[in-house]
Amino acid sequence: MSDNTLNNLPDGFKGMSHDMSSDQTAFKGVQWGKVMMWIFLLSDTFIFSCFLISYMKGRASTVVDWPNTSQVFSLHVGDVPVPLLLIAIMTFVLITSSGTMALAVKFGYEKNRKMCAWLILATAIGGLTFVGMQAFEWSKLIHEGVRPWENPFGAKQFGSFFFMITGFHGTHVSIGVIFLFIFARKTFRGDFDTGKRGYFTTMKSNYVAIEILGLYWHFVDLVWVFIFAFFYLW
Amino acid sequence: MDETQNKEQANSTHKIGIYLWIWGLLFVLSFFSYMVDWFAFQGLLRWSLILVFMFLKAGLIMAFFMHLFWERYALVNVLLWPMTAIACFIALMAAEAQYTVFTRLLYFFIGG
Amino acid sequence: MSDEYNKQNTPIEAQSSETMSGSSGSTTDIDYVRPAELPEQDLYHGHSFITKWIFCQDAKVIGIQYFLTAVFTGIVGLILSWLMRLQLGFPDLVPFMTAEHYYQFVTMHGMIMVVYFLTALFLGGFGNYLIPLMVGARDMVFPYVNMVSFWMFFIAVCVLMASFFVPGGPTGAGWTLYPPQAILPGSPGSGMGIVLMLISLSLFVIGFTMGGLNYLITILQARTRGMTLMRMPLTIWGIFTATALAMLAFPALLVSCIMMTLDKLLETSFFMPAIVQAGEVLDYGGGSPVLFQHLFWFFGHPEVYIVALPAFGIVSDLISVHARKNIFGYRMMVWAIVGIGALSFFVWAHHMYVSGMNPWFGFFFATTTLIIAVPTALKVYNWIITLFRANIRMNTVMLFCLGFIVTFVNGGITGIFLGNVAVDIPLSDTYFVIAHFHMVMGIAPLMVIMGAVYHWFPLVTGRMLSEKLGKWHFWFTFLGAYSIYFPMHYLGFIGVPRRYFEMYDSPYVTSATGMNEFITVAALIVGASQFIFIYNIVTSLRLGKPAGKNPWKANSLEWLTSEVPPVHGNFGEKLPVVHRWPYDFNVPGAKEDYITQTTPPSEVINAEVEKT
Repeated sequence: MSDNTLNNLPDGFKGMSHDMSSDQTAFKGVQWGKVMMWIFLLSDTFIFSCFLISYMKGRASTVVDWPNTSQVFSLHVGDVPVPLLLIAIMTFVLITSSGTMALAVKFGYEKNRKMCAWLILATAIGGLTFVGMQAFEWSKLIHEGVRPWENPFGAKQFGSFFFMITGFHGTHVSIGVIFLFIFARKTFRGDFDTGKRGYFTTMKSNYVAIEILGLYWHFVDLVWVFIFAFFYLW
Repeated sequence: MDETQNKEQANSTHKIGIYLWIWGLLFVLSFFSYMVDWFAFQGLLRWSLILVFMFLKAGLIMAFFMHLFWERYALVNVLLWPMTAIACFIALMAAEAQYTVFTRLLYFFIGG
Repeated sequence: MSDEYNKQNTPIEAQSSETMSGSSGSTTDIDYVRPAELPEQDLYHGHSFITKWIFCQDAKVIGIQYFLTAVFTGIVGLILSWLMRLQLGFPDLVPFMTAEHYYQFVTMHGMIMVVYFLTALFLGGFGNYLIPLMVGARDMVFPYVNMVSFWMFFIAVCVLMASFFVPGGPTGAGWTLYPPQAILPGSPGSGMGIVLMLISLSLFVIGFTMGGLNYLITILQARTRGMTLMRMPLTIWGIFTATALAMLAFPALLVSCIMMTLDKLLETSFFMPAIVQAGEVLDYGGGSPVLFQHLFWFFGHPEVYIVALPAFGIVSDLISVHARKNIFGYRMMVWAIVGIGALSFFVWAHHMYVSGMNPWFGFFFATTTLIIAVPTALKVYNWIITLFRANIRMNTVMLFCLGFIVTFVNGGITGIFLGNVAVDIPLSDTYFVIAHFHMVMGIAPLMVIMGAVYHWFPLVTGRMLSEKLGKWHFWFTFLGAYSIYFPMHYLGFIGVPRRYFEMYDSPYVTSATGMNEFITVAALIVGASQFIFIYNIVTSLRLGKPAGKNPWKANSLEWLTSEVPPVHGNFGEKLPVVHRWPYDFNVPGAKEDYITQTTPPSEVINAEVEKT
């Protein structure tokens, strides 16, 4: 058990006790920004958990019927109503963008600037498509008379929780899209190769930043997995 | 910090296949969970299938796309243990919801 | 960056050996400390007045900004408490005091003191100032975000204060803001007041998250060479665990704020059941007020420990330094802090025994609540054993520490009463509860804050505070606070309810009137005596005795900076290298009665130091 190099550290729980009892860093070889994003995401997980727990409490204790989501969210193809069609496409788009992001991180670490930048751009466009489809879904429901304060299909809380939770998730996606576009530009410009300083933070750019952004983006996808299961399928 | 990147890089170069595999699996699992609704399974079967697919997808995204599988245990444990608080919160709120609906039915419909 | 790193790393790899004990293998140097893993942090140095003192990225300046802003709101909270006490002791004495105003003052006093004063002071103030210094970092890992954190907090305070001046005044729903009454016209400030309160809280959470991430990551990923987690001062452990709690508890507050804002502004029914108001059926229906209480206390109980844990940590260090003795059971103290932190997420509904929640919950939460008393009691024993046969300096700092132990034990014991469902139910919503939580999370942490200010003032300003004024301040505060809260236990037992504007002709009047008057007079005196403190600080800034380096002969890194007060970057050319824990006082065989954390073992070869 050599304690003076970051290579050949023990693995598993032994490694955990080694890392935790060592000096300087508790997470060996992890850049601080990455840990910061992880802890932020942990905090954000608690936010979404609280939203979903409230939703569970609201839905499980209502004495008015909860609308049948597979009907409410169906789209008509021709004359045939296809349940959850739009949601399925949105899920598809978001997972696609998650995949491109994962590849962007990989190419970033390989210093493949062009490939990385194009993949980030593809991710951003995927995110934008998702937000667009969400806007479409919202307007469709609003046309059908669903509002945060009322719902013609049953329990009032359906509309409230729907707009609040998808709205909060959509906000996360939108923020992610903005950052993705910024990062795509930075990558194309080569900031991460030259170590150009950030405009606000005055810190040197580094390809780790792309992995950090990737963590955020995958988290957004992760939350969607839960929303998809609990809100649309349940 | 570059050492990490080098390690990461070494890992990543070998792993484009893995990323594509996971990507494919996510599509397949999403398709399966969509099928749960399509075939209109009900009851316990529906719930367990939804949960299984959900946790599989979440696990794949966290483990591979977010690289948690390759992180050291120190980070993994710090991130996963707080979830016990959420688990406790969920369990208790489920019990609370049962009680709320019980009292509501009792007082609104049966008459207390 | 990469070159520097590899240069440091390659030669070490070659000698990879068993160096855990520092004596075996090829490295026989007992002063050996692992080389740096990370390159030096590059800092942004301010070059104008604005970047040096206003939008400053130096954690120490941000800490002072947090401190002053928090103290300002604290004084507002103090004045509100005076007004409330005047009404309770001498009804109708204050001409503008109506029932509405009384409730608004209660609410604002509570919210200010818990969130904007204590939380911001301990974590924003002490956290920012002490974390980089005590772990041996040049600054927080992300100074820019740290700066934004303070300004978010500042805006949150401004929004909070603005609610005093909107039509209808600030919210009067009680600091717990329970719906449905909080947003219905029946309670004062249910218009703009409550909305501003919710916005302010949300801003606070956002701002705090930015700061909190910095505190956590600085402690986890930016310690100096040799600084292991188990060599950190307990102050840092307390602040660290409290921040971790905050990162996981504030989300629940944010969510409940968002949902209640929607209930108020969009008339959603998250928390609102069907309501008939003045014969008119409102649009609400189907919501669950108890859900809000769960969300609120899922935040609210960890919040208690967010305030208490930094106090535990700081008081341990103060006691150790001023008793010239190592803290008894350091590791036990660390695990107790961590254990209390973890358990605090499983006890929240003991605030809700009378709320009409699922009755089975009482069993669960009473059990967990009593379990949490175990690590807490361990800490109290350890403080007392640390003092046992110690070489105590009876100065102001030590007096405040002793005051803390007494008030904390008192408040803790009443907590055990209230944690049991059967005892809690008759005591709920009486002055017993007021006495309990003011003792345990009002007076006790305040004692620590004051002790900490007397302790670290020489570091921050380079001058000592006046001991004479300090002792007057202590005795006024301690005895005064006791005479406020001790009688309140009795008021609670005879059943005087809290949050009542006036007792009118109720049967309590005869037995409670005299006591209420006494409490009010004591409260006025205690409040006024805080101005001794402020006077002491203001005069000592210029006229205090110059402190010099390390006036208390402490061991931890903050006293070992190149200059006092420390400048941006904290340490000189080289970061300190840590060889031991910060509690080596009166070590047998050592020349002096303290061995600083940076003293290498070869310099104290004869001392029987603890292996840490």
